[in-house]
Amino acid sequence: MNGAPSQHIAVVGAGLLGRLTAWRLARLGLAVDLFEAGSLRDTPKAAAFTAAAMISPLSEVVDSERLIYDMGLASLDLWPLFLQQLSEGLSQPLQPASYREDGSLVVAHQQDSALLQQFAERLQFHLGNATEHSQWLQQNQLRELEPDLAGFHRGLLLPREAHIDNHALLTQLLTALQQLNVNCFERTPINNVNAHYIDTGTQKREYDWVIDCRGFGAKSDIKDLRGVRGEVLWVETGEIELQRPVRFMHPKYKLYVVPKPNRQFIIGATEIESEDLSPISLRSTLELSSALYALNPAFAEARVLRSDVNLRPSLIDNRPRIVTKPGLLRANGLHRHGYLLAPVVVENLVALITQQHPFSFADTLIEAQA
Amino acid sequence: MNECKDSPFSLYGETLASRFVLGTALYPSPQSMKDSIAASGTAMVTLSLRRQNPQQQDGDTFWQYIRESGCRLLPNTAGCKTPKEAINLAEMSRELFETEWLKLEVIGDDYNLQPCPFGLVEAAAELVKRGFKVLPYTTDDLVLAQKLLDVGCEVLMPWGAPIGTGQGLLNRYNLRTLRERLPDVPLIVDAGLGAPSQAAEAMEMGFDGILLNTAVAKASDPVLMARAFAGAIDSGRMAFLAGLIQKSQTASPSTPTLGQPFWHQS
Repeated sequence: MNGAPSQHIAVVGAGLLGRLTAWRLARLGLAVDLFEAGSLRDTPKAAAFTAAAMISPLSEVVDSERLIYDMGLASLDLWPLFLQQLSEGLSQPLQPASYREDGSLVVAHQQDSALLQQFAERLQFHLGNATEHSQWLQQNQLRELEPDLAGFHRGLLLPREAHIDNHALLTQLLTALQQLNVNCFERTPINNVNAHYIDTGTQKREYDWVIDCRGFGAKSDIKDLRGVRGEVLWVETGEIELQRPVRFMHPKYKLYVVPKPNRQFIIGATEIESEDLSPISLRSTLELSSALYALNPAFAEARVLRSDVNLRPSLIDNRPRIVTKPGLLRANGLHRHGYLLAPVVVENLVALITQQHPFSFADTLIEAQA
Repeated sequence: MNECKDSPFSLYGETLASRFVLGTALYPSPQSMKDSIAASGTAMVTLSLRRQNPQQQDGDTFWQYIRESGCRLLPNTAGCKTPKEAINLAEMSRELFETEWLKLEVIGDDYNLQPCPFGLVEAAAELVKRGFKVLPYTTDDLVLAQKLLDVGCEVLMPWGAPIGTGQGLLNRYNLRTLRERLPDVPLIVDAGLGAPSQAAEAMEMGFDGILLNTAVAKASDPVLMARAFAGAIDSGRMAFLAGLIQKSQTASPSTPTLGQPFWHQS
């Protein structure tokens, strides 16, 4: 708020990062225009709509690195704050998007228990011997927490992990943006994203700052950006109830099931080094659905609502990065960690624009370009 | 190994500078993959087109990272279950990566990814006819190995254990038989290794090289593990060349007691 309130900002890309950034800046009184290549409400293109939206620093550190965990912890502190401010800011209050910090569970069938053990050892490798990060559950404890996982002999509870109803959140962010008088342009692809200006193809518009949040859409402007294909299935069943995300260890798959409102579940996700956006393959469909079936055979009668395919925007080290030069910020590379890392990336962007003290992780995230 | 006289590691008439062949899947990031390849000192890496849509150049960025390693590329047919699938994928790989070299996989069992001996021989025969240089991923079965040689394979890659299990050398008898009966065929132990000591053991037995992926890529520190395997493979090779002593039931002191120096006599 101590920045210049007259600043005019363009945010390009209305995925999670774009919406959150536009909202944080508009709350501070800055004039913000938000541009989206696709639709803002119907069949949006952003990976944020495909994601299962877990905030799971522990599960993710197992296959990545300590930095992802540390940033994720910071996000776990920021999310409840964001959601509270979001519901407060609305002139017509909405039911806040469901955000639950009930932890998550990791399970494996008995013949694959080595994988579960390895998961626990990997946690220890990255996080040390602290016991508060995870807790072994025996069958009866597991049954108490999640009666529909009674088929498993043990599991690992990760108490701090959270998950969010991302579709409700993304819709609410849009409502908040409109109430804060952010100009939201949809079906307006911007292929020319530059310092101090953008080009819509028909018009050149000038700004104090342009913030590039296009995700994979920024490929032509970011040399080492690649898309990593992910496929998910949405199913609906009243026969199974889960309170929290469940990760399922299997020799071939690393899959999760996340409960969503209205008896729906999302199961994902494949991770394929490919920038192909064609529909889900039969193989992936089989793998995802057989994992669901193995979790609890009652899933067999679930109805398959839809499949979804998208590309995770990833850089060579699979870490996020903000490239800065005067008049232009490019934030990208959230890879498979959109909801896990977005709050930290957004707070860094806001600090850069308002010239406040750098936010945490600025040293790792920000790369100044000549 | 500059002090020992080793014969070159030669496959299909081409000499490779390292006996370590590394896979490119499952790393935490492309950067980690590149660093692991560099740390391993490998001269050949495997890669898979499976699940991609090569007509659209959809994996170009990722493949570029692999190409930048400067290693010889060994495309594989991972996950193929029939000769027809494997042959189609082989043709696509040859075109895309501009190499006739192929790690042939034809999987017979879905759970432990065991090679299908019948499909493997059938596919190998056809691919050799089509000009491929086939390196088949096979079990440790001697007769199967002979059939693969009969149809024109010049290198064999028997498993240590099922892919990704980290079980090490499960059937030493069979592996030793392969080595003894096929003394002139380059044999690379492919799959199932979890620890550098297992790789060293295979090299001590006289195998010509090691191919692995999971043990490095899924280690907590892949780059360090790549170095660990590289060292083990070198050590195992040197030990093989140096000649291991035979195991014995009775102790034989390395310093003869008769020659004990006088100051040890009380």
